[in-house]
Amino acid sequence: MGTDRYAYQSCLRRVSPLPKLLLTVVALVICLCCDSVAVGIATLILMGVLITALGGLSPRVYLHFLKVPLIFLVIGCLTIVAGAYPAGTAVVAAIPVGDSLWGFTADGLWLGGRIFCKALGAVGCMYFLALNTPVTDLTMALGKLHVPKLLVELMELIYRFIFVLAETAANIRTAQDSRLGYRGFRRSVSSLGMLASMVFLRAWRKAERIYTALESRGYTGGLTTLNDAYRPGWGLLPLAVLTAAGQIAIWFVEGRLLG
Amino acid sequence: MRTVTANKTVRAAAVLAALLGLMTMSASAMHIAEGMLPVPWAIGWGAVCVPFVVAGFFSIKKKIDQAPRAKILLAMCGAFAFVLSALKIPSVSGSCSHPTGVGLGAILFGPLTMTVLGLIVLLFQALLLAHGGLTTLGANVFSMAIAGPILSWLVYKLLRKTKAPAAVAVFAAAALGDLFTYVVTSVQLGVINGGMVKFLTIFAVTQIPLAIAEGLLTVVIFNVLEKYSKTELHELQVL
Repeated sequence: MGTDRYAYQSCLRRVSPLPKLLLTVVALVICLCCDSVAVGIATLILMGVLITALGGLSPRVYLHFLKVPLIFLVIGCLTIVAGAYPAGTAVVAAIPVGDSLWGFTADGLWLGGRIFCKALGAVGCMYFLALNTPVTDLTMALGKLHVPKLLVELMELIYRFIFVLAETAANIRTAQDSRLGYRGFRRSVSSLGMLASMVFLRAWRKAERIYTALESRGYTGGLTTLNDAYRPGWGLLPLAVLTAAGQIAIWFVEGRLLG
Repeated sequence: MRTVTANKTVRAAAVLAALLGLMTMSASAMHIAEGMLPVPWAIGWGAVCVPFVVAGFFSIKKKIDQAPRAKILLAMCGAFAFVLSALKIPSVSGSCSHPTGVGLGAILFGPLTMTVLGLIVLLFQALLLAHGGLTTLGANVFSMAIAGPILSWLVYKLLRKTKAPAAVAVFAAAALGDLFTYVVTSVQLGVINGGMVKFLTIFAVTQIPLAIAEGLLTVVIFNVLEKYSKTELHELQVL
């Protein structure tokens, strides 16, 4: 599902999740704080290089994943960029509607472009984490960071159950689809409603069965698992520093060139 | 005179075309994407969520301490919320979108439980599907796991108190919860750079049909559940 498959195949899979988390957070925070076009694009490219070179992901897959949040970003930024201005405003392109102009101004375009690039950089950072760290490793790291045990356990269980339920839902959907269950709006709603409620029902029954199975094996409220043997991944720490230094350098250069 | 009317027609057509274009585009624009919020706002929304999540956490802890079985059930419910939000919902306007599951979750599990489950589900959506993001997690949790569910739950309880039929209460709770989520999202986006009205108009055009579709869907789900799993619903204290 989504990034999960690639995270398990990553060359960084066996590296301890903590340095990966650190690199992501540092790059993400700097990218957001700089709030500039150049830093955003640089972060995006840098993360692409790290993911493909260190993680061994093919660049095509990285580009494919970048397309996913693109639609959210484009809509959000277009809404910021486009606007109604009083007649007489200096606009780049606009159509007159009534007394006002609907279109883009140079300032608006600049603002939208900055947010867009910054967000793309941030998405790149997130992908460095998501495409190199399976969720099970991440929950373990959260446990080490003293996130409450109950929350971590809930996350682990939910993660496991997602795949079970998604399979059930996909099977039901195929069955309904092959019987023309998604022809027309009315029938689609009723089919989908049936699907969702059946998935809920099965989830509930399955949970009861799992609980019975656990209890018969001496379950007292905690699922303890052994940590994987990780490589420490100290090499990522200087890399995080280098990334941060690069981002800040680009920010300074951009500031010099523009101002 | 004729040119004026012709101009007006062209203008109206252009606006209509733009709106229709947006309608298909913003089919799933419910999450605030990674990096859209400036740092102070990202931290601010995160801070706003903390008391709700802590309250939800302790309510879950209490439930689990009373019955250890609740942990497995809650986890299943969380996974259900994730799978539900990944389903494609048919929309009146012809485009496809995903249900938010805000209303159903609030009615079934209550708003307090929803905060914690919502937090986990939104984190997984960000990491696994790139819907939403790590820095915008706070804002998304607030709109989808706190504000929407609380409104849904209030609407549901209120309508049930006034002896309204269950279907009406479920529909109103789901549709209004959905709409309120979108209103909160547009406020969150609009408050930063201005233009709240812009976001609200776009969301109103695209999301009202979606909210109605989700309301209908939730009624269908609820009817089937009522028919086949009365005992489970009683355990959740919905009925």
